[in-house]
Amino acid sequence: MKSGLHPPHGMRIPEVLLSQPQPPTQEQLDAYIRTRLALAGVDLDLLPTQPDPATGVPTRDQALRSLRSFVATVPGAIAGWAPPVSGAPAAAYAQQAAPPLLYPSITEAWTGKADAR
Amino acid sequence: MSRAVNRRIFLAGSAAVTGAVVSGTALAPPAAAVSPVSSKSSRSPEPYVPDLDAAGIEVRDAARRDPTEATLAEAAVLMSRRKLTSTALVEAYLDRIGTYDSTYQAYAEVTGETALAAARAADRSGGRRGVLSGIPLCVKDNYFTRGVPTRCNSLIFADFVPNHDATAVARLTAAGGIVLGKGQMGPLATTRATTPNGTVTTVNAWTPDNPATDPGGSSTGPACAVAGRMASSSIGTQTGGSIVLPSNRQNLTGLKPTMGRVSAYGVIPLSYTRDHPGPLARDAMDAALMLAVMAGPDAHDPRTLGLPGLPDLVRAATPVAGRGGAVRMRRATRIGVPADFLNSATEVRKAFLDRIDAISGVTLVDITYPADWPLLTGMFNDARLSERTEPFRHWLREDPALFGVSLLSWLQGLMLSGDEWITAQRAKNHLLREVLDGVLSRCDVLLQTGPVPFDILGLPEIAFPIGFTAGLPSGVILGGAPYEEDRLLEVAAAYQAVTDWHTRRPADPAAPAASGPGAKRAAGAGRPRLTAEEAAAQSA
Repeated sequence: MKSGLHPPHGMRIPEVLLSQPQPPTQEQLDAYIRTRLALAGVDLDLLPTQPDPATGVPTRDQALRSLRSFVATVPGAIAGWAPPVSGAPAAAYAQQAAPPLLYPSITEAWTGKADAR
Repeated sequence: MSRAVNRRIFLAGSAAVTGAVVSGTALAPPAAAVSPVSSKSSRSPEPYVPDLDAAGIEVRDAARRDPTEATLAEAAVLMSRRKLTSTALVEAYLDRIGTYDSTYQAYAEVTGETALAAARAADRSGGRRGVLSGIPLCVKDNYFTRGVPTRCNSLIFADFVPNHDATAVARLTAAGGIVLGKGQMGPLATTRATTPNGTVTTVNAWTPDNPATDPGGSSTGPACAVAGRMASSSIGTQTGGSIVLPSNRQNLTGLKPTMGRVSAYGVIPLSYTRDHPGPLARDAMDAALMLAVMAGPDAHDPRTLGLPGLPDLVRAATPVAGRGGAVRMRRATRIGVPADFLNSATEVRKAFLDRIDAISGVTLVDITYPADWPLLTGMFNDARLSERTEPFRHWLREDPALFGVSLLSWLQGLMLSGDEWITAQRAKNHLLREVLDGVLSRCDVLLQTGPVPFDILGLPEIAFPIGFTAGLPSGVILGGAPYEEDRLLEVAAAYQAVTDWHTRRPADPAAPAASGPGAKRAAGAGRPRLTAEEAAAQSA
């Protein structure tokens, strides 16, 4: 936790402050990416180190650079969202809101709502 | 129009239709006319035969002079009046393919001999097989076609020859359609059509000499084949705009139906929850005819089961005249206009709004998006990437170079966790309610400034031409409520009844000195290439 975020003694730490770890370094991101790929069985070393015009496939460096940018932005943006609710604590009510739907339009039909329009 | 259905009624209806067909009763309206494709039966779906005379199809002089100019509906009428044979039509298209496709590069595979044999059979049958009897079609190369290479423009499928047709293809051919060939596409349905290494192949039919012009993707070849008069109509798939965008770019009418309307069985997946099969056609009527044949329940794809019946799309695509002969809307229709609609193609869009607002029954409604729209339709769009990774893990492990220039988005899909993906599905529900209970409570259909929001939600969209900007076609995308493709067709048909943008065709390219693969390679020399980063950024 950053030193400036320490609360006064005895004060309950707001949840939002607890959930702000240090952003990972580039080395940590690279290690995470390589580890995730390895766990999925994907070998980044199968990619060329130099551009390969025949296949157009990105080099290892290109792939790492792209994935670093992706990992640093997209997952956090998605994980940081919760459906807007009224009531406190909001996290408890957000659990009940907008149940995940794989196929929203189809669900609309299967629940009969498409008929009502 | 009631969409009421429940599973019991649906199943009873299917059984009744099957009985009617077996006993030789005249075929019923569209929703019931195509019987389900049973997983336990090899029986083909029954053909759909609408009454085109009742639809008032008038054949233009240009179509009488040149069959490749004819719309699908015009060609069907000409054949029913014995003014045109399927053989002549297929030969005319094959002539154009032989002359111009080394420049267009719309086709990945041409099945000329098979198509000609099918055309001769159609002529012998007297056109009784269905509404598409004898009609040559281009099929995007991610649809399985039995015995015909299906490469999805990827090294992964370089040698893949399916042993069965995709359900949509089976329905089209059962209705008499003839597969003229496989349409070139973005690698694995991602970008505009390029070779797997990113070199541009298919051009925009309106600028055949300038491959830098965006032809739209990823159904680039199917769009170019129809725009360049090398097929009567075509089918593509849409995950992130891949039907409506090439339609807009190449002056076509493309219809992305509601998720589940058309079976995706036998379509190589890109993002399973968002892959929508649908037609790219010459006008609203052609799109209606194609979708009416393609749509319907399929036991192989449970998403197609238990849905509202298909409305009468041919009726919806038939314009209505009021007193005095002026075109009016079939139903009073509120068209939503989002605040940013005029931010691009301003002049042509203003003219479009003026013209459509003048049609009796249209009301334009200003629409403001909800505050979280940019986030939920922007960054959340990337949640689809996990879906494309999952069915491709085998090849990612085996040799990632097989993905060529398209690899990055498949790797990105591995970087989202399960909980984040579930959050994105929760956001879909939230966004759906914002659209249906918010935006679409104030209007019946909504003009789109991009296809992605309704792709995320699986809602229907239609694209149609509205003019030209700097010599290139300009179009709009209209989105609608679930299973209300008829409403979209009604708007497009009314607009096309009072304008002629959709009848404009591009000039032919200069005929190359030679034809065949060598000519194709020569024409492809010097074409631009996409980088891996561009491919990821532009991916559907």
